[in-house]
Amino acid sequence: MISFTVNGRPAAVAVPDAKPLLDTLRDDLGLTGAKECCGKGECGSCTVLMDGEPVCACLVFTAQARGVEIITVEGIGGGPEQLDPIQAAFVAEGAAQCGYCTPGFIVAARALLDKNPHPTAAEIRRGLAGNLCRCTGYQKILQAVAKAAEGRAD
Amino acid sequence: MRSIDERRSSDGFQWVGRRVPRLDGPEKVTGRTKYMTDLHFANAAYGRVLRAAHPHAIIRRIEVSRARALPGVICVLTAADIPGLNGFGIIIQDQPVLAREKVRMTGDAVALVAAESEELAEQALALIEVDYEPLPAVTEPLQALAPGAPPVHEGGNLLQRTTLCRGDVARAFAEADAVVEGTFETPRQMHAFIETEGGWARLEPDGSLTIWCPAQAAYRDRLQVARILGWNPNRIRIISSPLGGGFGGKDELTVQHYLALLALHTGGRPVKLHYKREESVVAGIKRHPFRVEAWLGANRDGTITALQARIVVDKGAYASLGPAVLNLAVEHIAGPYKVEHVAVEGLLVYTNNGTNGAFRGFGVPQTCFALESLVEMAAERLGIDPLALRKQNVVRRGEVDGAGHRIESSVAVWECLDAVERSSLWEGRAEWVAAAPAGKLRGYGVACGVHGVGLGKGVPDFANAAVELTAEGRFRLLVAPQEIGQGNGTIYAQMAAEVLGCAPDEIEVVQGDTGQVPDGGTVTASRGTYAGGMATVNAAKKMATLLGQGAPPPLRAEGYFILPQAAGALPGIIGAPHHVCGYAAQAVLLEVDALTGETRVERVVSAIDCGRVINPTGLEGQSEGGVVMGVGFALCEDTLMEGGLHRTRNLTTYILPTTCETPAIETIAVESCEETGPFGAKGIGEVVMVPVVAAIPNAIARATGRVFRLPATPERVWAAMRKEAQQP
Ligand code: FES
Ligand code: FES
Repeated sequence: MISFTVNGRPAAVAVPDAKPLLDTLRDDLGLTGAKECCGKGECGSCTVLMDGEPVCACLVFTAQARGVEIITVEGIGGGPEQLDPIQAAFVAEGAAQCGYCTPGFIVAARALLDKNPHPTAAEIRRGLAGNLCRCTGYQKILQAVAKAAEGRAD
Repeated sequence: MRSIDERRSSDGFQWVGRRVPRLDGPEKVTGRTKYMTDLHFANAAYGRVLRAAHPHAIIRRIEVSRARALPGVICVLTAADIPGLNGFGIIIQDQPVLAREKVRMTGDAVALVAAESEELAEQALALIEVDYEPLPAVTEPLQALAPGAPPVHEGGNLLQRTTLCRGDVARAFAEADAVVEGTFETPRQMHAFIETEGGWARLEPDGSLTIWCPAQAAYRDRLQVARILGWNPNRIRIISSPLGGGFGGKDELTVQHYLALLALHTGGRPVKLHYKREESVVAGIKRHPFRVEAWLGANRDGTITALQARIVVDKGAYASLGPAVLNLAVEHIAGPYKVEHVAVEGLLVYTNNGTNGAFRGFGVPQTCFALESLVEMAAERLGIDPLALRKQNVVRRGEVDGAGHRIESSVAVWECLDAVERSSLWEGRAEWVAAAPAGKLRGYGVACGVHGVGLGKGVPDFANAAVELTAEGRFRLLVAPQEIGQGNGTIYAQMAAEVLGCAPDEIEVVQGDTGQVPDGGTVTASRGTYAGGMATVNAAKKMATLLGQGAPPPLRAEGYFILPQAAGALPGIIGAPHHVCGYAAQAVLLEVDALTGETRVERVVSAIDCGRVINPTGLEGQSEGGVVMGVGFALCEDTLMEGGLHRTRNLTTYILPTTCETPAIETIAVESCEETGPFGAKGIGEVVMVPVVAAIPNAIARATGRVFRLPATPERVWAAMRKEAQQP
C-alpha cells in the first residue's frame, strides 16, 4: 500500500511503485482532471502539486508520493459553483477553449501566485512556460492569471 | 475605430454579439469535464495496435498464435477478421484498416490486440511475428513522379492532378512591368492537439455498438465503421463531444474502427484505446507539405495581372481528404485578388512519409505563403507600398476573383486591410523598426487571405438541429457539430436564446452524439457557427411558433439548413468555388537576432471579416489561437522524417510556441453582414491562421533576407541574412 493525501483526504493505493502518479490518480482514484498529453514532462497538462510544488505527474512514480500532500485541479476552489479566483478569471476571460490543457494551467498558476502573489507580466509568462496550449494562443490565459493576481473579480 | 463591444450596444440584440461566458467554462476550469479519454468502465479490456516495422514492405506472413496463447490476451485480430470492407478514407477508401499484403507507412496498423491490461496487450504485440520483404521507400514527391519510381499504390504515385486556367498567362507575363518568382516549401505541421486519439467501445446486449471517441464527424465516422463491419449504420452510436482539440486531425477515423473491431471480440466487455504521443505522431495525419513554384506579374500602376504556379503535394501514403485539400489550395491560390490571367497545376503525390490530411487552413496557408511572398516582392520591385498594392487588387462584392468566380456574398477584405492600416501597430511600425537595439534587426510584414466556408460547390452540405421543451419546462438544443474548443455550444445557445427569448444558460446543449442529435455534418471547413448556427436558428424559430400557438410541453421542433452553393462553377475542381468565404488581413512586428538568426514576433494585429460577431470573446479566441498556430507553422514547427521514418517522435523535438513566444495580439472585427448566415455570421475558424504565415516571412525579409522554406528556423534565417549581406 502506498499512502498519501489527495486534496486534503487520505488515500491508499495498492499499485506498483513505479506506476506513474498520473495513472494512479486517473485510474485508481478517479481524479481525471490531470491529463496525459506527452508523458515526457514537455506539456504540463498533468501538473499537480506535491507539498505545494508543481510537478509533472507523468514523471513521478507513485512510490515517490508516499506521505506527501497532493493537490490536483479538483482540489483547487470549491467546485463549479465556488471557483477559485484563478478559475473564475479563466471563465471570465475565455482562457479555456477545448479545456484539455486547462487543469494543468490552473494548477501551475495557483502554484505561481501562491509563491509570488503579484507577479509581473514577464514572471507570469515564465511561470507558465512549461504548459502547452494548442487552442488559445495563451493571451487570454496570461490575462486571466494577471487579473486573478490583481484580485479583480469582474 | 470603435471596439467590438462598443459597436454591439446599438444592435438591439439581447444575446447575439455579447461576451456571454462559455457555458462549459466552470466545468472545464475545475477539471470536472469528462472527455471521452477520461471515461472509465468496470470490467474493461485494453486494446493496442501493432504498427508496421517498415515504411514500405510486402507482408509475407503474419503469425499470431504465440500472442493468442499469452494468458490474459482476449483477442488478436488481423485483416482476416474484418467482416466488411478492409479500407477507409473520407473520399476514397485506399487505407487498409489492417494491412494484409503490403504496408505503405510505419503508421499502418497490422494487427489489434485486446487484453486484461495495457501491459499484457503490449507484451502480446511483441509476440506477433510479421515477416516483411522491405521495398525502397518513396520519400521525395518529385522523385515519386519520375518514371520507374517504386509505386506506393498499384495505380502509380500520382493520386490527382488539379488545374485552373484563365486568360493568357504567357502574354500577361510578357507584357507585365515586373515578374517575380520563387519556390516555396512548407512543413509537415502536426496538429498537436493536447488530447491524443483514444476512446472506448462496447457491444451492447441488444447487439448494437456504442463508441465513445473525440471526433469531428460522428455521422460520417458511423458510416465508415459500418462499411468496415458490414453493418447497418443505425446499429452504431458514436458519442464524440467534447474534444480535447482537433484542428482537422480528428476529421478522419482515428481509433473508431479499431475499437469497433475489438469490441466484437471482447464478449460485451468495454474496450479502451488511448494512444501515447509517440503512436499519435506515427499514426496520425499531418498537414500536407507543399512545394509551390510560382510566378507573379504586375504592372507599374500596381495591377496584379498574372499568376502561374505548380504545386507538388506530399500526400503521404493515403488519400484521406488530400484531394479536397489540393482543390481548395488551387481555388484559393490567387487569394482575394482579381488576377485576370492564372495558370495553376497541382499534383497530389503518394509517398511513404506517413500520411497527411485535413488541418485547419486545408492547403491555404501553404499557398498563401507563396502568393503573399510574391506580392510583397512585386511591391518592392515596383516601389509601391505593400499595403496599398494589396488594397488596390483585392476583390469586392460583384467582382471576379482570381479563380474566375464572381463574388455574390459578403466580402470585406479591403476593409480588413484598411483596419490594419489604421491600427496602432501599423502606424507605429517605422518608429518601432528604427528603435531596434544593438544586435537586433527589425521588420514588419503584412498579408491578407481568404478561406471558404463549408464544403463548397457540388458537395452535399447541410445541417439539422432540434429544440425540445421538456415536460419539466427546460429547453434542450440538439445539434451535431462537436464542441472542439471553439465554444460553439455557447454560440448556439446564444442564438437559440435570442430567438426563444430566454437566457443562454437556460438551454441545455447536446452535441455530437448520434444517439441524440440529428445529422448536422462535420465540425470542419469553418462551418460550425455558420451551418450549425443556421440549423439552430431555424429549429428555434419553429419552437417559438409552437410556443406562440400555446402548444403544451413536451415539444420538439426541428430545423435544417442547406448551405447555398455558388452560382458559377470551376470545372474539374470538385468543391470549388465556395459561395461564402471568410477573409482576414494580419500584420506583424518581428525582431531577428543578427548573430543567431533567432526570431521573435513582438506584436500582431488580426483584422477579420467574420460577418456579424456572435461572441467577441469567442472571435478573439479563434483569432489568437489561429495566429499562434500560424507563428508555429512559420517559425518552428515541423515533423521531421528521414527515409520514411519519423525523426520527430514526441513534443520533446516538436517545438510548439509557449507563453514565452506568444506575441501581443490585437483582434479587430470587421463586420460585413453575411445574409445567408445566422444573424449575419460566417465562419472564420481557419482564415485566422492564413495570412500570418506569410506576414511573418515578409517581416523577416524586411528585417534581413527572404526565406523560401518554412519553418523559418534560426539556421534558415541566418542563411538568408548571409545571402542578403553578400548581395552587391
Ligand atoms: S503529460 Fe506530463 S508533461 Fe506532458
Ligand atoms: S484550451 Fe485546448 S489546449 Fe488549451
